[in-house]
Amino acid sequence: MSIANVATTLNLTDVAALSPFLILLIGALVVLLIETFAENVASKLSFPLSALILIIALVAAAYAPASDNLLLTPWLSFDPLARLFTIFLLAIGLASALLASAFFQHFKATQGEYYFLLLSAVFGLLLIGSSADFLTLFLGLEMLSIALYVLCGYMKRWNISHEASMKYFLMGALAAAFLLYGIALIYGAIGTTRFDGLLSGYRAMHSTQQSVLFLGGIALVTLGLAFKAAIVPFHVWAPDVYDGAPTPVTAFMAVGTKVGAFAAFVRVFLVALPQFNPIWSEVIALLAIPTLIYANYVALRQVQLRRFFAYSGISHAGFLLIPLAAGTSDALPALMFYLTIYAFATLGSFAVLAFLDDRPAGVMLNDLHGLFKRSPMLAGLFSLCLLTLAGIPPTVGFFAKFFLFKVAFQAGYYWLVIIGLLTSILAAYYYLRIVGIMLSPVSKEVAPLRHYWPAAVVGVISCVAIIILSCYPAPFMAFLTGE
Amino acid sequence: MLSIFGLFLFPFLSAIAMLLLRLSPKNLKRAALILSVIPLIALIAGHSHWTGIEANYEWLPALGIHFHLTIDNLSLLFLFLTALIIPFSILAVHSSTLTSPNVYYALILMLEGLLFGFFTARDLALFTIFWEAMLLPLYLIIIMWGGNNRQKAALKFIVYMIAGSALMVAGVLSLYIFSMAGGGGGTFNLDALAKTSLSIPYASWIFGIFLLAFAVKTPLFPFHAWLPDAYYEAPVSGTILLSAILSKAGIYGILRIGYELFPDLLKMWSPLLLGFAIAGVFYGGFLAWRQNDFKRLIAYSSLSHVNFILAGLFAMSQTSLAGGILQALNHGITIAGLFLVAGWLEERLGSTSLKQTRGLCKYLPQLCWLTLFFVVASVALPGTNNFVGELMILFGLIQNPWLVALLGVSVILSVIYMLRWMQNEYFGPPSPYQHSWVDIHAKHILIALPLVVLILFFGIYPAPVLNFIKPAVEKITAFANLEQL
Repeated sequence: MSIANVATTLNLTDVAALSPFLILLIGALVVLLIETFAENVASKLSFPLSALILIIALVAAAYAPASDNLLLTPWLSFDPLARLFTIFLLAIGLASALLASAFFQHFKATQGEYYFLLLSAVFGLLLIGSSADFLTLFLGLEMLSIALYVLCGYMKRWNISHEASMKYFLMGALAAAFLLYGIALIYGAIGTTRFDGLLSGYRAMHSTQQSVLFLGGIALVTLGLAFKAAIVPFHVWAPDVYDGAPTPVTAFMAVGTKVGAFAAFVRVFLVALPQFNPIWSEVIALLAIPTLIYANYVALRQVQLRRFFAYSGISHAGFLLIPLAAGTSDALPALMFYLTIYAFATLGSFAVLAFLDDRPAGVMLNDLHGLFKRSPMLAGLFSLCLLTLAGIPPTVGFFAKFFLFKVAFQAGYYWLVIIGLLTSILAAYYYLRIVGIMLSPVSKEVAPLRHYWPAAVVGVISCVAIIILSCYPAPFMAFLTGE
Repeated sequence: MLSIFGLFLFPFLSAIAMLLLRLSPKNLKRAALILSVIPLIALIAGHSHWTGIEANYEWLPALGIHFHLTIDNLSLLFLFLTALIIPFSILAVHSSTLTSPNVYYALILMLEGLLFGFFTARDLALFTIFWEAMLLPLYLIIIMWGGNNRQKAALKFIVYMIAGSALMVAGVLSLYIFSMAGGGGGTFNLDALAKTSLSIPYASWIFGIFLLAFAVKTPLFPFHAWLPDAYYEAPVSGTILLSAILSKAGIYGILRIGYELFPDLLKMWSPLLLGFAIAGVFYGGFLAWRQNDFKRLIAYSSLSHVNFILAGLFAMSQTSLAGGILQALNHGITIAGLFLVAGWLEERLGSTSLKQTRGLCKYLPQLCWLTLFFVVASVALPGTNNFVGELMILFGLIQNPWLVALLGVSVILSVIYMLRWMQNEYFGPPSPYQHSWVDIHAKHILIALPLVVLILFFGIYPAPVLNFIKPAVEKITAFANLEQL
């Protein structure tokens, strides 16, 4: 390729292709500026403005053209998958903003900074979802993580948040170091950090030294991402951090970070290096087994719901590893389908928690006693989300699991399927126990439920999405499989 | 025009209608009853024309799952049973004390739809979905309207069920994968799988997975640990659903999957399974004998009788198979009647204890004689439906005279425990009168009348129903290559 062909300027199409990123970035800065110069305005305006920014970015993402400008394509990919991730992640950001607004109706704190950090974190997620190079990926992960370190400790006067934030920062920094070191080793082995050069670079290696470097790098990258995805044994931070963070931040971590980490896995291992080495697949399968067993077992005993959702999230990460290990052509749609269902059900659950969240310690299992009597709608929504997470038919959670297991079966991971199915017995127990508690009589005098419309919006959308997907999942599945 | 999809969809639409209706409790019950009777009328009106009717839509192409429903004679028999029992389960509700009646009726109707789907599914994945989905309404019925220990009983019920069938997805998928072996794509179609399942690897493991699921749901001894609590804690109408229909789902599974996909293995394992079933007959019988609570007594008697049916299925002869299928229908009718009258008795006594009251016959003569009728039917007195079915099962076992003798003794056992209940509760020196002991009205008799008529009809003139199930029996016999007695 000669120098003359390389574009040196961005034309309108390229700007349009970048528009979701630009809107989010500029919007986030505007939110921060308003907070800095007009705090009174910010407390009223931050939420509607952020929601508007996210909605505009969503619309832009839906209509953004693909760019083929050589200034951009080495760093960002504009394939359908990137568009899917962008829309998905922006929607999660919007849901998190809505949940945060409900939270701030009860807990008083400055809001502008919160939304700025949230938008930055979403920006980081978008970079991960569209990354075409390890450096973009790393940049995205760091933008996400740094914003989240602050968000975890956002409630400055909450003692539990201090520990959570500190723990998250130290462990996160360590994981980032591993990731970066891994990237450096890969660069040392094949001389590029671009995803599209990975497979050819790996195939072209001829010396043992090179492949040791490369595989060592891959191992460190996997480790770094496994930390973000909270996979056993790299999960130890997750329960404490989820427990200590304010509930809307926990919701964002449970869904956003999870999707982000798996987006990174998808970008590197399903798109760039599909089935490159059977040993890597074996390792992922071996990670899935303790993740499934441990998380499902420990979730049985949780009484604090933020912590409960940490373990539930870890167990679902275990399920999501199954298609990664399989690496077949159906693996990507199965993974995306599962992630979507997980996101809807978890956000729906957190929308319910937003109504009950009235103290720093968060919602306890006991607070749910008699929820069905207090508010049949909330209890019904929560039950639907929990049944979906448990994968009990006729909810769409069953189809998501079925899809994963089918992919695993076709790839020959029979044991993984059997362990996944057996641990789902435990999952059925702990999710249905919560349903049972909601249906039990009210144990003590309780204040009437407050009404938060933003949380209600999240709940209703999740509920409708789950019901529609449960009855007729075919179109969405066909969309993901590209038929 | 007969539409299987309409038949399947109608209960769900009725359930939605029940959620939306704003009526007085009494009218709500009437509405639910009318909606639940419509499928029964449709089934009776179409009777044997329903066989062969099919609906096949591509539902989840990405997973290869078809929405494939077909009615054959076996399906139709179980459809009749379901459509018959659901109205009785609604009639057993005490509408003035029921909380959230809309939800209750909606759940029952939803269950009816799921059962219609289950009994007609021709796609193995769809079969599994309905199999699991039917647990949810029952779980909610137990946990929301059950007795004092409902939380524990409901959780135990559903976790047992889910544990029993957890691996079924693996079984379904392995059948799918192995069906690819002959070239071409995999399939979940039961007819196609019946051709490939004879020669697949790990067949005994796969069949074991399915059999475990069916054994837990029916339940076959020793997989019954969930039964006493669930039957006892559920409201009466829920117990009717559990005992009369849910147990038949397991039996249908054995007939459909066991006989059609794995006939050789079933034959090989039948001595062991027959042993379990006979042990279950006696275990249930002895425990029923020892109960001091009539709801538990009937629960254990149901366990005993269901295992009798299973003995018929595992006896591997055409006559006992026909007897087993007939008994599945009979047991549903009889047990629904028993729980119905037991529920009325509970309403009057305010408890289900056998110890507190005696000689109720003096105050509640009509309830007493109605109960006695169902008891007599349950112990298989000649002239009642169970006599025909149990006799056929025993006749099919004739090559093992010892087994016949043993099972014959179990009939005596059932007489002992059932009459012990009657004697304790209704006869003997009467307890002092209490004002809540009002005898049942003509309305109650009228409710029970259809069951009484059916019991006598099947008992005295079983030929029509035997002719009705004959094609199903012959089809299964051909599949499994059974000896024809």
